[in-house]
Amino acid sequence: MTKPNETLENLLEQDYEHGFVTEIESDTLPPGLNEDTIRAISAKKNEPEFMLAWRLKAYEYWRHLNEPHWAHLQYTPIDYQAISYYSAPKKQEGPKDLSEVDPKLIETYNKLGIPLKEQEWLAGVAVDAVFDSISVATTFKDKLSELGIIFCSFSDAVQNHPKLVQQYLGSVVPHTDNFFAALNAAVFSDGSFVYIPPGVRCPMELSTYFRINARSTGQFERTLIIADKDAYVSYLEGCTAPQRDENQLHAAVVELVALENAQIKYSTVQNWYPGDENGVGGIYNFVTKRGECRGDHSKISWTQVETGSAITWKYPSVILKGDHSVGEFYSVALTNHHQQADTGTKMVHIGKQSKSTIIAKGISAGQAQNTYRGLVKVLAQAEGARNYTQCDSLLMGTHCGAHTFPYIESKNNSARIEHEASTSKISEDQLFYLAQRGIDTENAVSMIVNGFCKEVMKTLPMEFAVEARKLLGLSLEGSIG
Amino acid sequence: MLEIKKLHASIEDKAILKGVNLSIKAGEVHAIMGPNGSGKSTLANVLAGHKDYRVTEGTMHYQNTDLIPLSPDERAHLGLFLSFQYPVEIPGVSNLYLLKSALNAKRKHLGLEEIDAIDFLSIVREKMKLLQMDDSYLYRDVNSGFSGGEKKRNEILQLLLL
Repeated sequence: MTKPNETLENLLEQDYEHGFVTEIESDTLPPGLNEDTIRAISAKKNEPEFMLAWRLKAYEYWRHLNEPHWAHLQYTPIDYQAISYYSAPKKQEGPKDLSEVDPKLIETYNKLGIPLKEQEWLAGVAVDAVFDSISVATTFKDKLSELGIIFCSFSDAVQNHPKLVQQYLGSVVPHTDNFFAALNAAVFSDGSFVYIPPGVRCPMELSTYFRINARSTGQFERTLIIADKDAYVSYLEGCTAPQRDENQLHAAVVELVALENAQIKYSTVQNWYPGDENGVGGIYNFVTKRGECRGDHSKISWTQVETGSAITWKYPSVILKGDHSVGEFYSVALTNHHQQADTGTKMVHIGKQSKSTIIAKGISAGQAQNTYRGLVKVLAQAEGARNYTQCDSLLMGTHCGAHTFPYIESKNNSARIEHEASTSKISEDQLFYLAQRGIDTENAVSMIVNGFCKEVMKTLPMEFAVEARKLLGLSLEGSIG
Repeated sequence: MLEIKKLHASIEDKAILKGVNLSIKAGEVHAIMGPNGSGKSTLANVLAGHKDYRVTEGTMHYQNTDLIPLSPDERAHLGLFLSFQYPVEIPGVSNLYLLKSALNAKRKHLGLEEIDAIDFLSIVREKMKLLQMDDSYLYRDVNSGFSGGEKKRNEILQLLLL
């Protein structure tokens, strides 16, 4: 009989499933970053003058910044001059439908289990697929455009809806926000753009699959979602990446704007290459995600399931500007082997009677470090603001760590702020009980972990929840003590 | 059916069982009695394969299969069922999910097809009727907030099902 210890270690040893590189000719800029790089990116994308000016301003600001090191993370310094800032699959013209898409791309999607064609018809999900920084296929466009919904790549939005872009770009995450947001503003290559017109309820989940492909290409996605008055949209973001042995930087920015009575639900399943069991390779995921409840009675919900990346540094936040606005953050962060995650949220209460809920579940195994860092800030005018925070950590084995840094600042004495936290271990008793009922260790661990995360998982859209459940089990192959 | 011969077992190098012999034939019901600390629970745990207990000597066979090299879940698949003194709580996992996973794990071991949710519900409801348990049991978390009696009843339900 093997010891449960060993069994769990074995479980965590499972290879990364999505480790493959598609061979497609890439149109890649040489490594390095200077003003010319930015002009080149902007020119390649045929951008209007305001975009170039905006990028240059951000670059100028970024040049004078230092990389932040306050997070509970350790990594070798990033050489920003060794990164290539643009890589796009070569093509003559944009594809008009799937038949014009490079068959190799389709093959990649199939390997990932996202057959685009079937997805169109079966899942009812419109996919704006980002492959190596450029969007290659957008589906369901017609159906959405009947409703006046704009769902396209960021580049298309810049070409076709420059006024909307100019009005909202950087209005939630300005280039001055932080080091990585400034870098993103300067060099971002593509991303998604969504606009839901007043009173429209988007009839399907909008979904983008991000995928980093070309070797050593930093990815700088930019997503902007605007829900106009009384509008509703649910957006899914899912990520996988090919296996490789050098670190890759990913510094995305996501901006959400909810106007009066509008609602945005943003769900992420993040499964980028986490590095091998010795901590070699893996993605550096330094992301700035923020939503602004700009109008009264608006609502923004973030749900994230973070299982990938060598390093995760992200704090999807909500600025609760409108009266009676609602912000939610549901998170599962799972780290194994040498993965490090420093993640959490910021809820900034400005509007009267604004409400926020934070449910964060951290799971660490192996030698991983998992940190929750959150800020609940209530400004003086936020009469009757209310926050509930719950942070739970689950430890597997004796070499991992869980850390919680909750910051609370309240300037209004009518505010009510609650914080609950717990730390637990998967107990041998639970494992033995399940084993005695015939369930092997691997499935038992997966069952216990999914139970631990239930409150978060149930906020995910159905099709995503299934994938996320599997992912949690998979990511833990190899981790209890 | 169950043959235990000269069984010695210890926990953290402390010998608890010192030469247990027991032979049970099919259809027999046995009760093992003894004062506190005499090793009744230890024997049950050793049979089920709890990893804290080490068999130092002797043999255990169930239906002529040597139990010692088998993991706890493999022993369970053979038909060994241990009703727990203190059934463990598993937050966030519904009874339904546990029961279905356990039954399917066993069916898989027997080379049978996995049972789908609808068929499973009708089977489990039949058993629950026998025990006068209502549907809400299925949707509660495993043993979470169960009273002592409810936990025991739940154990019997599992026994009937598996």
